[in-house]
Amino acid sequence: MDYQTGLALALPIGVGLAGLGCGIGLGNGIRGAMEAIGRQPEAHNKIQLTMIIGAAFIEALTIYALVTVFLFMGKIGAH
Amino acid sequence: MYSDSAILQFLFKFENIIFSGLAGLFLSGLFVLGTRQLTLVPGRVQNFLEIIVEGLQNFFSDILGHYAKLFVPFLGTLFLYIWCMNMMGLVPFLKSSTTDLNLTLSLALCVFCLVQYTALTRLGPLKYVDHLAGQPRDMIMFILAPFLLPLFILLDVLVPPVTLSLRLFGNITGGDTLLGAFLDMGAQNLFHPTGALSLLGGCMAFLTTVVLRFLLMLLDTIQALVFTLLSTIYILMVLPHEEHSH
Repeated sequence: MDYQTGLALALPIGVGLAGLGCGIGLGNGIRGAMEAIGRQPEAHNKIQLTMIIGAAFIEALTIYALVTVFLFMGKIGAH
Repeated sequence: MYSDSAILQFLFKFENIIFSGLAGLFLSGLFVLGTRQLTLVPGRVQNFLEIIVEGLQNFFSDILGHYAKLFVPFLGTLFLYIWCMNMMGLVPFLKSSTTDLNLTLSLALCVFCLVQYTALTRLGPLKYVDHLAGQPRDMIMFILAPFLLPLFILLDVLVPPVTLSLRLFGNITGGDTLLGAFLDMGAQNLFHPTGALSLLGGCMAFLTTVVLRFLLMLLDTIQALVFTLLSTIYILMVLPHEEHSH
């Protein structure tokens, strides 16, 4: 197996794994936010804002994997 | 690259700068037009602009408190500029300049310079180093301080511009690449159809892009908001905080 086949196999699996981890993390985070809003509905503005910030942090981790794919994408098919 | 005429090659080579300049010119023109004759009872354009400005002011004064007046011009302009550039990617013949890592990195460096300048002038250099070393108050913390200082310098000073720029770049590029993939499928099937079924597939791909633009509008707005919010929080963390605990 040369490096191009290895790259072409590994890059989508990498992004998929990053998406899996971030999906679990985001689900946990938003569940916490939902429970907090349910417990105290008058604070829902602050809680929603904090949830959006936390979700952006976690989502950025998947984006780092995607950026790595963009970096290596040109090497597949180059000689 | 794609054509022989020099003008088109120039436009293609510098397209990110041209489109970001277009966004800046559009925003400046809109605000100059709206504030030409400021009246107490506003007309329509001035009313619209006042809604935007007052909304941003309320939003940032929730987070920054009484420092909001100093930072709202910068943060509001940052939000509107990034939002305008992101939206330009969804219009058929334009391209969003935030798909260029140079641009997002320069925006993140602007925020970084502002945060460091605010920290050094408002906290003072000695208090800033104390803040970065974990605020040592007793013996154990003083022993740990030389280990915490490089760690916090790495995590709180050097890493935020990188993550800010990569987050904005990655999200916008991913969204626009997805849109481009569907448009490519639609165009290939509609202009070189291999049968009746491929014409149907091309039409469905174009319909998908229409729906996808709405989703991308939401996602691009959220990314502009997140960039500005995180900049606000980085500024908040270096302002002298009297009330809230660290």
